[in-house]
Amino acid sequence: MFPDKLKSYLLEVQKPSRYTGGEIGQVCKQKAEVRFAFCFPDIYDVGMSHLGMKILYSLINERKEYWCERVFAPWPDMENIMRREHILLYALESGEEIRNFDFIGFTLQYEMSYTNILNMLDLAGVPLFQKDRGEQIMPLVVAGGPCACNPEPLADFFDLFILGEGEEVNLELMDLYQKMRGHASRTEFLKAAAQIEGIYVPSLYEIQYHEDGTVKAILPHDGAPSHIRKRVMTDMNQCYYPEHVVIPFIEPIHDRISVEVLRGCIRGCRFCQAGFLYRPFREKSAGTVCQQAVTLCRNSGYDELSLSSLSTSDHSQIEQILDQLLVYTAEQHINLSLPSLRIDNFSKSVMEKVTTIRKSGLTFAPEAGTQRLRDVINKNVTEEEVMHTCQIAFEGGYTTVKLYFMMGLPTETDEDIKGIADLTQKVVNLFYDMPDRAKGKLQISISTATFVPKPFTPFEFEPQAEKSEILRKQAVLKKAIKSKKIKVSMHVSDISQMEAALARGDRRLCAVLYDAWKNGSHLDSWEEFFDASRWYEAFQKNQLDPAFYANRTRSYEEIMPWSHLDYMISRKFLIHENQKAHQAQTTAPCRETCAGCGANQCLGRPCF
Amino acid sequence: MKDYRVLFEKKGISKYISHLDLNRCMLRAIRRSGLPAWYTEGFHPHLYLMFPLALSLGTESICEVMDFRLTEALPPEEILQKLNAALPEGLHAFAVREPHDQTQDICQAEYLVRLSGSALADLWDAFIHQPQILTQKRTKKGLKEMDIKSMLICESVIQESQELVLMLLLPAGNDGNLNVSVVTDAFQNFAGKPISVNAVCRMKIFCRNQKEFL
Ligand code: SF4
Repeated sequence: MFPDKLKSYLLEVQKPSRYTGGEIGQVCKQKAEVRFAFCFPDIYDVGMSHLGMKILYSLINERKEYWCERVFAPWPDMENIMRREHILLYALESGEEIRNFDFIGFTLQYEMSYTNILNMLDLAGVPLFQKDRGEQIMPLVVAGGPCACNPEPLADFFDLFILGEGEEVNLELMDLYQKMRGHASRTEFLKAAAQIEGIYVPSLYEIQYHEDGTVKAILPHDGAPSHIRKRVMTDMNQCYYPEHVVIPFIEPIHDRISVEVLRGCIRGCRFCQAGFLYRPFREKSAGTVCQQAVTLCRNSGYDELSLSSLSTSDHSQIEQILDQLLVYTAEQHINLSLPSLRIDNFSKSVMEKVTTIRKSGLTFAPEAGTQRLRDVINKNVTEEEVMHTCQIAFEGGYTTVKLYFMMGLPTETDEDIKGIADLTQKVVNLFYDMPDRAKGKLQISISTATFVPKPFTPFEFEPQAEKSEILRKQAVLKKAIKSKKIKVSMHVSDISQMEAALARGDRRLCAVLYDAWKNGSHLDSWEEFFDASRWYEAFQKNQLDPAFYANRTRSYEEIMPWSHLDYMISRKFLIHENQKAHQAQTTAPCRETCAGCGANQCLGRPCF
Repeated sequence: MKDYRVLFEKKGISKYISHLDLNRCMLRAIRRSGLPAWYTEGFHPHLYLMFPLALSLGTESICEVMDFRLTEALPPEEILQKLNAALPEGLHAFAVREPHDQTQDICQAEYLVRLSGSALADLWDAFIHQPQILTQKRTKKGLKEMDIKSMLICESVIQESQELVLMLLLPAGNDGNLNVSVVTDAFQNFAGKPISVNAVCRMKIFCRNQKEFL
């Protein structure tokens, strides 16, 4: 539903069904005791592709007395109308203003969506700063998701953050609210909520700084715990998974049914934040995966199914899963896709199974051009493996290969950059050396991204490369590429420096974020709307330097702005991994040897 | 294997579903319904589904048509019941029959148009009695001036207290389409003031000789 007032304007905007609700699968309730507005801080098309939102939406709605609804950021055409006609941000199911909800919950997926959060709160008519919301208990503005691992740049705007996986803790929080509403103030509720494991209430912590701007101390008060530990679902077969999802009318970025097959990752790539945040590695059994996939396909009518995770082919029963599912998907005319296939264990039989379903381009991410640098980042892929996989792919009839690399990695030299060109050239040669190569035209494309160091990775201490350095390296790469079959797409933007600053930022960035938004920043992850000058002005106004956050080397002893948040990855382990990186030493995957990161403590046993 | 033609309404919020999105929406609805849909042969089989006449975004309809094929014949009631159970709010199938006419037979469609205004009848009268009714039609090559006088048939005009209610018969189908919005835009231009279009609903689709498309 949508507010009546909007009716006369809906045909003036692009894709009006972004704003109407009414999709198959949406949950409406006659009455509910606790109402939760699940806000995705980007537009509908992006948010409706997001798996986590689907899980938590259904999970909350399973409870009769709770009602979770969806909210997305409007595209500028709609935002203009809403502001002009004084229409406040509403939830899609009921069409009611979210400022009257009990919870307004955001999911923090990427740093560049933070300004959208401020914009959505403003559109909703909710005071942006937590301290301005008064002692009335609702609405509580909360957030979870991967970026909650360092939520400090958002600390002033939120009542609380939810660390780790939300399946249990979200309901515990709502239960506590239901018990306390009516007699407790906001502050009283927050103090009580801070006692729930996984709940971080930033207003209960005082941050002290050294003169050089680094954190001196993080001091809890009012009984708040000194460390807040993330929540983990230990048994994926028992873990809630929805049987129905909302099926959008418009085509979202990913228009398909997703079944999560595992959480965590065994690989330990040192640049990959998700690989550490979601530890330990936990699988669903083949039976569970297949049963959930069939149920969701049947209930949704989708003809596109994806088995999703950080690394689906690392599932110990992947062949079994594919064998079982392919029978069903072939019979039901469903496309099965594995979006996170890995280059190193891409076996011929898995390949054949996938190719029987669909034949499109292959994408691989060697991430670095030389073996030395791949060892530094612990991307355990050898050149032979890349070649081997490409060979299988070419034999299987593929003629389009996309290779992803990062630039600005720790210890990177020009040799490593030239290595990108060399490796790619070898792939080209491989194709033309094949006597029975496919008829199609070979197309190899390289895409490079600027490396952003993230918290809770062994590279959290590392400086990000300066923009000038990245530009220089891009020129080196361009010069090194000889073949016309290789297409390179590189672009450099100040976005990655802002992303790096926010990722490892402290609480003082709240003021910067606010000013950047005031200067007109939002939808920053959309290149056409990002304007670096708004951000630099905001930094300047607050006498802060983005380079302090993005491009500075941090010592092993430094207290990080997120040091009080416990993701069960020990600092000792991160330092050790950082040292190994600088010596170009690799660490074996968890399945082979445990490197002792600490994540298994939630299981109370070894991971494998 | 049997061909079916389903007639359905597209009302309320479903009028905001674009034609392309409607296609996907119906595909999934048929798949959810459990009806034994027929798929094309070949490497990429797809469900056979065809809409003889597209409907503009924002227009409601009580006469939409969709053709598909089932692998076996089923009673129409069963098809209707299963399909409706799978359709979202605003979409409702009300009849199933064997296709009679062909897509290329379609030549006109009738629309009920509600314009906001309490005294528009005279203005409308003057508008349709111009020697020429010139409009800007958007084509692939940019804006093109066009006289729509000969294409536009106004079947009835009723001035209600707040709305002018028109019944228009316009060309439709492969040999040429005229969108209601082209007419209402031209009327606004003629009036020299904004006139909001409260609602547009397609009422009937016709073949040549004024025969209803069946
Ligand atoms: S405890 Fe060992 S096996 Fe488990 S995630 Fe950490 S390093 Fe891997």
